[in-house]
Amino acid sequence: MKYKMLFFIVATFLCSCNKLDLNPLSEGSSENWYENETEIQMAVLKLFNIDYWDAALTRIASGSGGYSHQWTEAFTDNWTARATLTEIDGATINSQTSFVNITWQNAYRCIAAANRVIMNMDRARGTVSDDKLELYEANSRFARASQFARLIFYYGDVPYYTGILSIDEAFDMSRTPKAQVLDSVYADYDYAIAHLPTSYGAGNYQLATKGAALALKGRIALYMGDYAIARDALEDCIQLGVYSLYPDYGKLFLSSTKNSQETIFANPRSVDLGVELPPSGRAKEPLPRIVGGFANGGPSWDLLCSYLCTDGLPIDKSPLFDPHDPFKNRDPRCDETIVPFGSQWLGFVYQPHPDSLKTLNLNTGGLVANSDNRAVDQYASYNGLVWKKGIDEDWLDLKTDPDNIVIRYADVLLMYAEAKIELNDIDPSVLDAINQVRARAYKVDYKDVSSYPAVTTTNQGELRTILREERRMEFAFEGTRYADLIRWHLAGKALNNHPIYGMLDPGDLRTKVVDKGLWFFPSKPDIDVDGLPDFTKMYEAGQIKLLVQRKFDTTKQYLWPIPATEIEINPNMSQNEGY
Amino acid sequence: MADFLMPKAHHGKFRALIVFAFLMYFIPRYSVAQTILLRGQVKDNQGNPLAGVTVVEKGTTNGSYTDDRGNYVLQGVRPDATLVFSIVGMKPLEIPVTGKSNVNATLESATVGLNEVVAIGYGTVKKQDLTGAVSSVDGDVIAQRKTARVSQALQGSMPGMMVTRSGGAPDASATVRVRGVTTIGNSDPLVIVDGVPGTLDWVNPNDIESISVLKDAASASIYGARAAAGVILITTKRAKAGQMKLTYNYEYGVDKPTRVAKNADARTYMRVLNERNWNDGGNVQGNEFPIYPQSVIDNYDELSKQDPGKYPNTNWQDLIFRKSTDHQSHRLTLTAGSDKIRSLFSLDYDRNNFLYDGRNYNRIMFRSNNDVRLNNLFSVSIDLQGIYSEDREPGETFSPSPSSYGVGPVYAAMWPDGRVAPGKSGENTYALAKYGGFSKTTAKEIGGKLSLDFTPIKALKITGTVAPELYSSKGKRFTKQIPYTNYDDPDFIAGYITGATSTSLSESRPDNYSFTTQLFANYVNSFGKHNINAMLGFENYYYFSESLNASRENYILSSFPYLDLGNENYQYNSGSAYENAYRSVFGRILYNYNNRYFLQVNTRMDGSSRFAKQYRWGTFPSISAGWAISQESFMKGVRWLSYLKLRGSWGTLGNERIGNYPYQSTIGFGSTLVYQGSQIVSAQDAAVSQYAIPNISWETTETFDIGADFAFLDSRLTATVDYYKKTTRDMLLDLEIPDYIGLDDPSQNTGKMYTKGWGIEASWRDRVGKVRYSASVNLSDSRSVMGDLGGTQFIGSQVKFKGSEFNEWYGYKSDGLFQTTDDVKNSPTLNSNVGPGDVKYEDLGGASGTPDGKISSEYDRTLLGGSLPRYLYGGNIHVGYGSFDFSASFQGVGKQISQKTAAMVEPFLAQYIEVPQLIIGKYWSHYNTDEQNLKARYPRVSNVGNSNNYAFSDYWLFNGAYFRLKSVTLSYNVTERLCQRLRISSAQVYASGTDLFSLDHYPKGWDPEASSYWVMKSIIFGISLGL
Repeated sequence: MKYKMLFFIVATFLCSCNKLDLNPLSEGSSENWYENETEIQMAVLKLFNIDYWDAALTRIASGSGGYSHQWTEAFTDNWTARATLTEIDGATINSQTSFVNITWQNAYRCIAAANRVIMNMDRARGTVSDDKLELYEANSRFARASQFARLIFYYGDVPYYTGILSIDEAFDMSRTPKAQVLDSVYADYDYAIAHLPTSYGAGNYQLATKGAALALKGRIALYMGDYAIARDALEDCIQLGVYSLYPDYGKLFLSSTKNSQETIFANPRSVDLGVELPPSGRAKEPLPRIVGGFANGGPSWDLLCSYLCTDGLPIDKSPLFDPHDPFKNRDPRCDETIVPFGSQWLGFVYQPHPDSLKTLNLNTGGLVANSDNRAVDQYASYNGLVWKKGIDEDWLDLKTDPDNIVIRYADVLLMYAEAKIELNDIDPSVLDAINQVRARAYKVDYKDVSSYPAVTTTNQGELRTILREERRMEFAFEGTRYADLIRWHLAGKALNNHPIYGMLDPGDLRTKVVDKGLWFFPSKPDIDVDGLPDFTKMYEAGQIKLLVQRKFDTTKQYLWPIPATEIEINPNMSQNEGY
Repeated sequence: MADFLMPKAHHGKFRALIVFAFLMYFIPRYSVAQTILLRGQVKDNQGNPLAGVTVVEKGTTNGSYTDDRGNYVLQGVRPDATLVFSIVGMKPLEIPVTGKSNVNATLESATVGLNEVVAIGYGTVKKQDLTGAVSSVDGDVIAQRKTARVSQALQGSMPGMMVTRSGGAPDASATVRVRGVTTIGNSDPLVIVDGVPGTLDWVNPNDIESISVLKDAASASIYGARAAAGVILITTKRAKAGQMKLTYNYEYGVDKPTRVAKNADARTYMRVLNERNWNDGGNVQGNEFPIYPQSVIDNYDELSKQDPGKYPNTNWQDLIFRKSTDHQSHRLTLTAGSDKIRSLFSLDYDRNNFLYDGRNYNRIMFRSNNDVRLNNLFSVSIDLQGIYSEDREPGETFSPSPSSYGVGPVYAAMWPDGRVAPGKSGENTYALAKYGGFSKTTAKEIGGKLSLDFTPIKALKITGTVAPELYSSKGKRFTKQIPYTNYDDPDFIAGYITGATSTSLSESRPDNYSFTTQLFANYVNSFGKHNINAMLGFENYYYFSESLNASRENYILSSFPYLDLGNENYQYNSGSAYENAYRSVFGRILYNYNNRYFLQVNTRMDGSSRFAKQYRWGTFPSISAGWAISQESFMKGVRWLSYLKLRGSWGTLGNERIGNYPYQSTIGFGSTLVYQGSQIVSAQDAAVSQYAIPNISWETTETFDIGADFAFLDSRLTATVDYYKKTTRDMLLDLEIPDYIGLDDPSQNTGKMYTKGWGIEASWRDRVGKVRYSASVNLSDSRSVMGDLGGTQFIGSQVKFKGSEFNEWYGYKSDGLFQTTDDVKNSPTLNSNVGPGDVKYEDLGGASGTPDGKISSEYDRTLLGGSLPRYLYGGNIHVGYGSFDFSASFQGVGKQISQKTAAMVEPFLAQYIEVPQLIIGKYWSHYNTDEQNLKARYPRVSNVGNSNNYAFSDYWLFNGAYFRLKSVTLSYNVTERLCQRLRISSAQVYASGTDLFSLDHYPKGWDPEASSYWVMKSIIFGISLGL
C-alpha cells in the first residue's frame, strides 16, 4: 500500500511536466517568412510606414522616452516660436541630439527591412510570379534608395550595405564615401524606375510609382549637385504626363484634399485609423490662441517679407508694397500661408492689432476678447503672425489627417528648372516650369502671362534668385526650407545675420508704433540678393523687438553629427568635422 | 541531536501530533489511576509567553500544548511525575510535579539566534547548521514597519539588502537588491513564498512568520535557475496545536510628506522669466522687461487682489495637495489548532488615501493556511491566499516634480467664478485631476498550494506540491473632455484642456497564471556522530500571460464609462500573449560530524523554454563547509566565547530572465496606412525587429563567500560577518549593436561583471531586572565593476563599460561657472551659445587623444563615480518593561553620489513650469555683483544655455548619504486581570511613527527617497483585541 501510494504520487508529478519548446504566440517566426505573396507584401508594406517618411516633421525623443515630433521648418528662418530656438538655429546640435539619433535609426530600420525582403524573396520564387517579385523588389529598392538619400544628405558619409548584417560584419564597417553611396542610390532608383508601374490598379495597394522614383532620384541628384542627372530624371518625370498641378494652392494641403493629381509620393493619414497629424499633441502649436492654440510656432517676419508683390518684385523694390498693410498686393501664396490681418480665420476675425481688444466670433456674431492680441493675452503671437497653410477647422479637434506629401509635382517642376539654371541650360522649359507653379498660385493659365507676374528673364543669376524666392513662397511650412538652406550653403547667412524679431510689448507698441501711424511694419525692410530681409533699421529705431538671436555654426552644421553611440562602440566610425 | 535532524520546523510538531494522537487513545486507561489536573504557563527567558510548547508527562504519552498565552492544561498527571517542556529552538526542560497543581516553566534558548530554524529551500535547518550566508528576519520586525508592502519593510532589516523606494506611495513597490547588483539584466531576487515562486508584494506583511534571504551560492543554488540575484524565502504564519483565538486589529494613521519643495511666488516667477528672456535676447540695455512690465511685477499682489482673473496668482501646490492624508486598516485573524487540524485564517482590509483627491488604494487580502494530519503516513497542507485591490486615480496623477503638478503661478487654474481656466494654454493639471475623469485598476490574485507529505519511514518524507496562481486585472481609464473658457468670455469655449480634448475610454484586461509542481524527498538520519540530511527533488513551472485592450474615443456623453457608448468610428483594440516554462532537478546533502565539521553540497539542473533546445540546460553546483571551533575541546575553556563557526562556500547560480523567445528571430506585426484606389486602408505589415542570437543560454554567477558566526557572553551578543566575491559571466545583456543594423539591440551572452562586498550584523539581547532589551545593527557594502562586455557599452548619464562601476555617473567635468565674456572666449565650449553664467567644462580630450579646444560628448565626458548607494546600514532597538514595549528602527546610506535632478533645480522646465524657490538668490545673474556671482551655486537663467548647463556633469552631483529613523513604536499590553474582567483573552494598544526624520544633504524640500511620490511620515495608532 505504501509503495503503491508512493508510485502514484511520483507518477502524478512527473506527468505534470510541461514542454519547454515554446514558440511565440502573438508574433511570427522569421524562419518561414517571405514564402508567399501575402508575407512578402506585408514585409514591403512596412517599408511604406509613415514612420520612415516624415516629410515636414522630424522625430525627436520626448521627455518620457517616446517619440515626439518637431516641425523641420522650425530649424529655419521661416519660423518663430517666441524666443525659443531648436538645436539647429540655436547651434546646440551635437551627437546626442535626439533627432540626430532617431532620424538615423529610423532610416536604417527601413533599410534593414528592405534588404531583408530583397535577400529573402527567393524563398517565394515559384509560388509568386517573377513579375510580382520584381515589383516588390523595385518597391524595396525605392525605399532603400530614399533612406540612403536622406542619410547622405544629413550625415555625409554613412555605412552602406545591401545584405543582412551580422554583428561581426557590422562592427567591421566604417563610413562609405557619400559619392559611392550616391551611385548605389542612383542604381536602386534606376531599378525602381525600370520596374515600377506609373500607377496601380484601383484594387491594389498604391506603393511607389515610376514617377516617385524619378522625382526622388531627381531630388537627391539636385541636392548633391549632380545637375545633369537631376535634370534628366525630373524631365522624365514631367514627360510621364501623369501629374499636374492642383488648381487650388490653398486647398492642396488640407485634410480634405487627398492623393491629388499633384501628389507624386505620399503616405496617407487617417484619424479613424489612428494615424494623425500632428502626433504627440503638437497641433496646438500653430493654432491661434482664440481657438485654444498656443500661437507658439508660426511664420517669421522673414518669411512674410520674402513673398513677392503682385508685380513680381520683392517688397523693397515694389511700389505696391505697403508696410502698414503688409498683406496687400502680395503673391497669393502669402495669404494662403499666413493669416492676413482682419481676415476670417477658424471662426473668428484674426487681428493682432493692439487696439483690437475684442474680435468677432463668426459663429455667434458676438464680440469676444481677442486673445490673439498681446494686449489681451501676453502669449499671443509675438510677431503677430500665425500659420494658415494646411490648416482648417479640422484642426480644432487637435487631430487631422492630411497626406504626408513626400514629394509633389510643383517641386519636380521647380527642381527641374533649378537643375537647368545651374547647368546654364536655360531654355523656355525652365521659364515654363517656374511660371506653371507661379500661375497656379494666381489660379490662371501660365501661358496667360499678362494675368500674373510671369518670369521672362533668361539671365542665370537673376533666374537663380527668382527660383530661390519661388521655392520659399511655394514650399513654406513643408519642411523643404531646411534642405534648401543647407544645399545652397545659405544657412549661415540666413540664420546668423537674421535674428528673430517681433512686435514691441503692447504698451511700447502703442506709443512707439501705433500712435505714430506706423502699424504694422514701421518701414520697408531691405531684401538682399538671396531674398533675405533685413530689419536692422526698424530695430535700431526702437520700433521692433529682438526676440532671440539665431545661431548656426557654419564650420560644422552643414552636416549633422554621427550619433554618439555609433562612434563609441565602433572604432571604425569617424565623426563629422567640428563635432 | 534529534532536533538537529529535523528537516522542517513542523517536523517537531508533527512528532508531537503523533504523541497527541496516541494520548487520545490512551486517556481512558489512565483515568483509572490516581491523577491530578495540572495548569501552568510557559515563557521564554525574555518573559514572553511561548505558544505551541509540548508538555509531556515523562515516560508516558500523556501530553498537551501551550496556547497563545503560554498556558497549558494537562489532565491525568500522576503527582510524582516529571513534566518535559519542549519546543524547537529551545532547550528542553524537565520539572518534577511534586504534587503541585500549577507548574510554570521558563525555557532558555541554548544558543540564542543560532538555534533558530531557518528556511533554506525545500526544507529548513537550524541556523547553527548553516554553512552558507543566510540572513533571516522575524515577521514581527516586518509588521512593525507598518508598510503596506513587504518590499518597503525590508529596508535596513538585514545586511546586504539594498532596498530603494521611489517615494512613500502605499501602492508602490520598492526595488530590492540582494548583495548589490549582479547583472546588467534583471537583478530582482527570486521570491519564494511558502516554497513556491511568488511575488513579494502579494504577501501581507502581517501574515509573515519569518523571511530568510539566501545570499550566497551555497544557499541559493538549490534554486539554481533565477537565483543569481539572491533568493528571498517567505514563510507565512501557521496555527499551532492548542491555539484557539480570534484577534481583531485596527490601525489608523495620519500621513504627511516629510518635505515639500517650494516654488517661487508669482512676482519672482515673472522677474526670473524676464531675466531669462533678457539673457537670451543678448542683455540689451533697456530691454530688461521683455515679457512682464515692471509696473505689473511690482504691483502684482495688489493687481491680483483687484482682478484675479486678469492677474492670476495660483499656488498650484496649495490648490492640489492637502497638508496631510490618512490610512487605516482592519485585520481579523483566527487561529485554531487541534491534534489533527490546524488552521489559520486572516482577513485584512486597508484603505489608503493620497495627498490629493480622487486617488486611493484599497485592498482586501486573505490567507488561509491549513494543516491536516490524515494518518501516520500522510499529512496535507492546504493554503489559499488572495488579494483584491483597487487603485483609483483621477485624470491626472502627481509626483513631487513641479512639472507634474503645475505651470507657473501666473496662470489661472480656475476663474474666480468657478469656471475652468486654461492654465497655461490648456495645460491645467488641476482641472485634469478634478474634472478629467478617472482611472481605476482592480487586481485580483488568488494563489493556492496543496502539499502532501508522505512519511513511509521515520527518516524519509516525500512531499508533493501543486501550486497554481491566477492573476487578472481590470483597467479602466475614462478621460473626460474639459472645455475651458477665457476670463472675460464665459460663453465661448476657447479650447480643451490638454489631455482632455475628447472623452474617451480605454480598458485593459491583462491576465496571467502560473503553475508550479514539486516533488521532493527529505531524508534525515544519524549514524553515531554522523548526521545526514539529504534532499532530492523535481520542479516544474509554467507561466502564461495574455492581454486584451480596447478603447473608443469621442464619447458624446461623459457619465457612461462603458465601451458601448463610444463612437464606433473610433474604436481600437489589441491583444498579445506569451508563455514560458522551466523544469528542474535538484539535490542537496547536508552532513556534519558531531556538530563540529559541516559540509553541504547542492546541485540543480534547470531547463528553460527561453533557450534553444541544445542550449537549454544549465547545471548549478555549490559546495560549502563549516567548522564550529567553539565546539572543539581545546576551546572549552574560553568562557566569553559561546560559539564560533567559520564557514566558506563556493557555487554558481543562473539567470535567464530576458524576453521570452530571444533565440528566435520573430516577426513583429504592425499596420501601415496605404491608398487602395482612393480608399485609405490600414494594411498589416511585418518586419523582423530584433536581432536573434540562436545560441543564447544561461548567464552564470559564481560566488565565493567566507564568513563567521559568533556568540559571546552567554550568547547575549551574536554576530555574523561575511565577505564575498561574485563573478557574473556570459551576462545576458542587450548588446549595443550599431544602429545601422536596423534592429533592436539583442540580448546575448556577453560580458563579465565583478562584485565584491561584505556584511556584518550583530545583535545583543539581555534583561536587567524587569527591563528586557535587545538591539541589532547591520552594515554592508558592495561594489560592482564591469569586466569585458564584449564591446558593449551603455552610455548615458549612468554608464556601464569595461572598467567602470555598474551605473557609474558619466559626464563632463565642470569647473564652476563662466564669470566673464573673456573667460568664455578663451575656453573650449560645448556650443557657440555659451555665455557668462553658464557651466564651464574641462576639455579632457579629443579625437587625437589630447584636448582639442572644444567640448564634445565623445571625448570630454568621463567617469564621475558610482551612483549606487554604499555602506548601507540599519538597525532595531527593542526595550520592554512590564506591559510596555518600545521599539525603534533606523536605516541609512553611508555614501552615495546623487544627482540634483532637473525637477529639483531647473527653472521653466518645458518653458513654463514653476521656478524652484531654492535657486532664488543663488543663481548667476547680470544683476549680481561680481562677488555675488563668484558665490553663485546655479547657472544663469537661460533657455539657449540649458543644453549646456544641464548637460550631465559633476556640477549636479552631491553627497547623497542619509540617516533615517524608520519607525518608532510604543505598545502597551493590557494586563491579564483586566482582560479577564473584560472577558477577552488579550488586548494591546500601540502608537507608531514611521519615517519621522532624516539627516542628509538633499536640496531644500527634497527627501532622499522622494521620486515618484513624496515620502510620508506617519503617526499610527492601533488597537488589538483577542477573544
